Amino acid sequence: MNEFTLADIHEGFEQSFEVLLDSEKHQKFVEISGDNNPFHINNEYAQRKGFKAKVMHGLLSSSFYSTLVGVYLPGKYAILHAIDIKFLKPVFINDILKVVGVVSYINQAYKQIEVKAYIANQDGIKISKAIIKIGIINE
Amino acid sequence: MDKELAFEKVQEIFKDIFDDQGLAIEASTSSNDIEDWDSLNHINLVVAIEKEFKIKFNFNELTGLKDVGAMIDLIIEKLK
Repeated sequence: MNEFTLADIHEGFEQSFEVLLDSEKHQKFVEISGDNNPFHINNEYAQRKGFKAKVMHGLLSSSFYSTLVGVYLPGKYAILHAIDIKFLKPVFINDILKVVGVVSYINQAYKQIEVKAYIANQDGIKISKAIIKIGIINE
Repeated sequence: MDKELAFEKVQEIFKDIFDDQGLAIEASTSSNDIEDWDSLNHINLVVAIEKEFKIKFNFNELTGLKDVGAMIDLIIEKLK
């Protein structure tokens, strides 16, 4: 886990990681959230809607924004203030997602950073993007 | 920048942050007057003002502000 403080961070500072969205993670998310909409759990239903297979929940793939903040940027001293997510493309089982965050603004007075983030799949296609506001508290 | 123009810009920022196009602020408006003016929205206000006026505040400058009028005065001072 990273332990970046405000002193370590500058505008343009970037962190990223990759994660496999496998069926185990998907199943756990269905159990946790209770969202068992057929679009997310039934291949045939999703195919009738025009998708190649069942589509992963947007908030499942977006849960990796939490990882970006709490583990990578800034890591240990993060307090998530706000996140604004836009979903761009569908995510499917076994997609390999790359989560990227770049610091776009720093408010020194209240120790808050703004991060422009996105998640791309193994083909380099952005599946979502987000603006994240994070407090950094290391006292 | 004169005080009137700064006030107009800050008024628009308040409408945007509190998502209320009918919100009308005055120089005497403080966090006691706007229910949603909590600590996170206070940070949102400060960041929006910094970006709009291309200025940076430090913590000590912000701690003594009692109302919108004091904030406008600080903005004008920072722009000099």
